[in-house]
Amino acid sequence: MPSANEIDLTVVVNGQPVQVKANIHEPLRTMIEHALQKSGNSGQPIENWELRDAMGQILDPARKVGELNFPPGVTLFLSLKAGVGG
Amino acid sequence: MSLQYVDPTVSRKKFEREIAEYRALENKYRERGWLLVHAEFPKVLIVLAAPKLIPAAIVMGVAFDYTNYDAAPPSVRIVNPFTGEPYKFKELPNPLNRALPRQEIAVPGIPAAARMMLAGAQPYMQPHQPDDIPFLCLAGVREYHDHPAHSGDVWELHRTSGAGRLVRLLEIIHRYGIEPLIGFGVQLVPQVGFNYGPPPP
Repeated sequence: MPSANEIDLTVVVNGQPVQVKANIHEPLRTMIEHALQKSGNSGQPIENWELRDAMGQILDPARKVGELNFPPGVTLFLSLKAGVGG
Repeated sequence: MSLQYVDPTVSRKKFEREIAEYRALENKYRERGWLLVHAEFPKVLIVLAAPKLIPAAIVMGVAFDYTNYDAAPPSVRIVNPFTGEPYKFKELPNPLNRALPRQEIAVPGIPAAARMMLAGAQPYMQPHQPDDIPFLCLAGVREYHDHPAHSGDVWELHRTSGAGRLVRLLEIIHRYGIEPLIGFGVQLVPQVGFNYGPPPP
């Protein structure tokens, strides 16, 4: 059973959903690290990833999980940034 | 058309994984205006709409070809959503522009204190000529890695990071091709018409 300080999240990493627990007092960055580790995405630094909510709004990884008032079971989307290209 | 040189069972399995994961969250993607209209190995056609416009607008189709995946990255083309024909550069509904960092420039004859900033944009869709079919200039895309200018940035450097995955590529096309659409613009061009006066008596 999750503690009062934890929430369950679904993070879709490049299309692959993974379930993670996030501490509401920790920044999103920590949750992102867990999601990347759990999905086996270790090839790129965390700065190369971008977290969005279901409506496509970018979420700042420095913000604390608790500040965002996620409903239980919320789904977030983590994708590689576009990079320089061209 | 690409020749399938990878064991088709491998490419097909990876393709089916892409589609199954997409289907599992299809409702959420549809809320963002992504409509999967065709998926049969090795091809996928997804239509991107702009649901925040009123009325909502279908903006473009994106055709993926996962032949040889993931020994090779997928081909990605922006296509007419109704016919599936790839757009030429001059026909693109949106070239996926991204803003470049603003640059301060000195202009002769203007005091140094008066700064001029140069703001530019560069399209992710790149052609050689306006009549060419452009390619998505992005690591993780077959046309990018096949281009001789990118021989130093090979697919193998990106393959394990998921750079060629369906949702990742759609996220980028959506960000630069759909999100910048904020509304319909209407230009009014008032014209005054004059009738002839009566003929002289």
